[in-house]
Amino acid sequence: MGKYVLKRLVYIIIVFLVLSLLMYMLYNLIPTDPARAELEPMRPSLKPDEYQELYLKLRADLGLDDPMLVRYARWIGFAPEKDGKLNGLFQGNFGYSNLYKKDVRLVIADPMAITVFMNIFATILALGITIPLGIKTAVKKHSLLDKSVQVFSIVGYSIPIFIVSLVFIYLFAVLLPIFPVMGTKTPGSTFTGLRAFTDRLYYLALPLIVMTFASLGGMTRYVRAAMIDALSMDYVRTARAKGVREKAVIYSHAWRNALLPVVTVVIGWFLSIFSGSVVIENTFSINGMGKLYIDGLNNNDYELVLAMQMFYTIISLVGILLTDLSYGLVDPRVRVNK
Amino acid sequence: MMKKLVALTLALALVLGLVGTMAAEPAVGGELIYGSTTEISGDWAHTAIWTNNASDNMIRGLMNDYATVSFDQGGAMVMNQSTTESIESVVNENGTKTYTVKIAEDLVFNDGTPITAEHYVASILLFSHPSLIELGSKSVAHLTYVGGDSYSKGDSMVFSGVRLLDTYSYSLTVNADKVPYFYDLSYASLSPLSIDMWLGEAYSVHDFGEGAYLVGGKMDVDTLTPKVERARFLSEGRVTAGPYNLVSYDTGAKQAVLEINPNYKGNFEGQKPSVQKIIIVKAEQETQMDALKTGAINLLDTMTGGVDINAAMDIVEAPEGGFDYVSFERNGYGKLMFQCDFGPTQFKAVRHSIAHLLDRPEFANTFTQGYGALVHGPYGLAMWMYKESEEQFNQELNTYPYSLADAQKLLEDDGWVLDAQGNAWTSGLRYKEVTAEEAGEYKHNVTVGGKVLMPLIIEWSSSEGNAVSELLVTMLANNPDVTAAGMEIRQNVMTFDELLNWMYRDKTVGDQYGVPTYGMYNLATNFTPIYDMSYNWTRDPEMVAQGYNVNYLFDEDLDQLSMDMVYGVDSSEPEKYRELWADYIIRWNDLLPEVPLYSNVYYTVFVDKLKGYEQSSLWDFEQAILYSWIEE
Repeated sequence: MGKYVLKRLVYIIIVFLVLSLLMYMLYNLIPTDPARAELEPMRPSLKPDEYQELYLKLRADLGLDDPMLVRYARWIGFAPEKDGKLNGLFQGNFGYSNLYKKDVRLVIADPMAITVFMNIFATILALGITIPLGIKTAVKKHSLLDKSVQVFSIVGYSIPIFIVSLVFIYLFAVLLPIFPVMGTKTPGSTFTGLRAFTDRLYYLALPLIVMTFASLGGMTRYVRAAMIDALSMDYVRTARAKGVREKAVIYSHAWRNALLPVVTVVIGWFLSIFSGSVVIENTFSINGMGKLYIDGLNNNDYELVLAMQMFYTIISLVGILLTDLSYGLVDPRVRVNK
Repeated sequence: MMKKLVALTLALALVLGLVGTMAAEPAVGGELIYGSTTEISGDWAHTAIWTNNASDNMIRGLMNDYATVSFDQGGAMVMNQSTTESIESVVNENGTKTYTVKIAEDLVFNDGTPITAEHYVASILLFSHPSLIELGSKSVAHLTYVGGDSYSKGDSMVFSGVRLLDTYSYSLTVNADKVPYFYDLSYASLSPLSIDMWLGEAYSVHDFGEGAYLVGGKMDVDTLTPKVERARFLSEGRVTAGPYNLVSYDTGAKQAVLEINPNYKGNFEGQKPSVQKIIIVKAEQETQMDALKTGAINLLDTMTGGVDINAAMDIVEAPEGGFDYVSFERNGYGKLMFQCDFGPTQFKAVRHSIAHLLDRPEFANTFTQGYGALVHGPYGLAMWMYKESEEQFNQELNTYPYSLADAQKLLEDDGWVLDAQGNAWTSGLRYKEVTAEEAGEYKHNVTVGGKVLMPLIIEWSSSEGNAVSELLVTMLANNPDVTAAGMEIRQNVMTFDELLNWMYRDKTVGDQYGVPTYGMYNLATNFTPIYDMSYNWTRDPEMVAQGYNVNYLFDEDLDQLSMDMVYGVDSSEPEKYRELWADYIIRWNDLLPEVPLYSNVYYTVFVDKLKGYEQSSLWDFEQAILYSWIEE
């Protein structure tokens, strides 16, 4: 087991390095001049000598005149900076945001906290509803409940989340002013402790409802399908024939076996708590990771975007390893013992 | 008896007058939630030293207003009467010019500590310091003043052109090549900076007659990095000098809360704010109207586009009421820009004919959905120079009305009379016989019988996802009259960054961009209150290579006028400036390096409890709010 994990960790490092090189190259192949792009809005208020001085300095600061491989090596931490020190990704320096003019690490901290806060609740809510609902509809296949859930889940699955957001805002914030339209806290409030927590929950309630609503369809149908497969197996029939209680048949025999395909999706969900929803965050004006990512892309803030992508790369690679290991926990037949 | 009656009447009148005066004075109080369409970065350095987005600049304006020079409601530069007692200038024998500024003696920061000339001088000394430049300071002030070059490079410890004369006076000496200058009052302008907050209590400014310098501690990058980082992003307890104090900034929610600074003396007119609290939140375009309706936002600033404005007007005009608005003309315009040194667009007649083939009033009306205006040159309708020149422009500016006949005549008179075989043009694409110099490397040229023929193909670079481009396709590129005129306009869709590469002919990004390829671009431009177009029409090859004169129009008159307008006139000669400005506009209108397409009318919508709010494109929220009050 230990050897298997170690081998996978080595793979992760190799894949990470290859991906980092590819992504760095890709972003730097975009035909743009970041120094010029940054100064463009200031150009009307600068005299030519002022513009030229700033432009040349920015190019030097951004290392735009150095070969791409040298820049990559500096960024990843394999080559020294101009001061002779190694100060790249491997040394814990995630880069410098050209948009916010501060370290990427500091730029990411707050959006990450909000995204994780939201996603934890959204994931718990979604799983708490979809798993029991999926099991119930599978057990009561073709019942009125099952058919109703099928219809609603396909509707929820089909409508773009953008539309769902706007409809929910109109219904629950404008028509019935239950929730606020946008934001993450009462404007101007200085709440602390529990009051701050409940205030944030109140502001995030509507986006959470939208996120949950949008995720119900897919997961419910996924669980339902896995359970229907499991319930049609011979061992379920055998258990029932032996007179095992129906609850035990469903939860101990069928659900345990239906878990294998579901666990992949569930772990994926938990890993996605670090990634924000671009649409939800933009619609509800939430300063999360999705919004930060889009802002970074729109403003050519490639160090910020690259750092985020590298982070998600690590999360994904580790996530795949965890998923593989969890198969063994769920199903002893695929457990790695060597 | 009569005397008593008169006395009583006078006393009554006096009392009533006093009561009336008291009633007219708006009460201080209330709060306003400002919906910002751009992100707040949380960088509060008092000018755009590091970041330059609109929200940050607006908040900086609310927190800092003690510059010695301000802009008035019409965009004119004025001495700030609240902060400055006098500004005197003298031209020195070596051609440099020295501005001596005496500041008011009763100025204090928001924490009550006195402001002296040292604090004004500290700002230029700090942001021009080599360590700060190393730390990314975009200050370029050192290029303007004597000794700035050696100071900013670290060759000299003192900034010889910056002098701390006494507790309340400083002087700035401007390099000889920067004067005369119509906006020279800007050279005397500095803003106070809290030395304690930025550097620490041990630091101060000294001047022993050779120039001012900072003392009190190390000024190397390692020492300054944590100090500067802290000062830039410090939200609570921030020491500033303006109408509002930053009370808090929530980095997670991106909300800034500002409250009135009780120590604020007033703006350049002595005006103090009345709205007690301003909360700035981020507004999203998709939900901003709902946010306005439900009170999540109280003011949406500078809205543009018919869809949003119509939605806002629906809210304003709704029977339940509760909202008001102001509208104002944009100080800028959307445009078709030509590069005039190659291909068909090098010929004035072609540029004129393109203007005649686009129904500009209809275009402006369609694009802005009725919330727009049309200009015929590089000016904004709110500019004081325009207002004083309007009558002259009505007579002298060519409005290029829509006319196929005019376009055809212009082309024929200019020699676009051939077809691809060199025969007389009857239909299809027009060709013109051109000289080798005119032909250049234009890729569509053909050679027939030893003659070089240039086809009337306009290669147009348009940015992707752009509503203006889409309307231009319909109203210009696909206009049957364009074909009838013998012209073809080819749209080339690309990202905005790539468009800039082509426009600037930026070979650093790729060699292909160095080749003149597109003759027409659709862009937009905005003007600042300092209308300085110098070098925009330069003929100096080195400056052209640096990205000046992106129209590549090398006209001596236009170049001269653009230079004379600002560098040939002193600030005491506004009428002379206006005359040169009008000449410049008229010359531009004739050469037509750009076709103005539309100038938006902006709307700011707000709750009607906000009273006295007047805004223009030269008078922004941070200035207008000082004259407003909340009436609950």
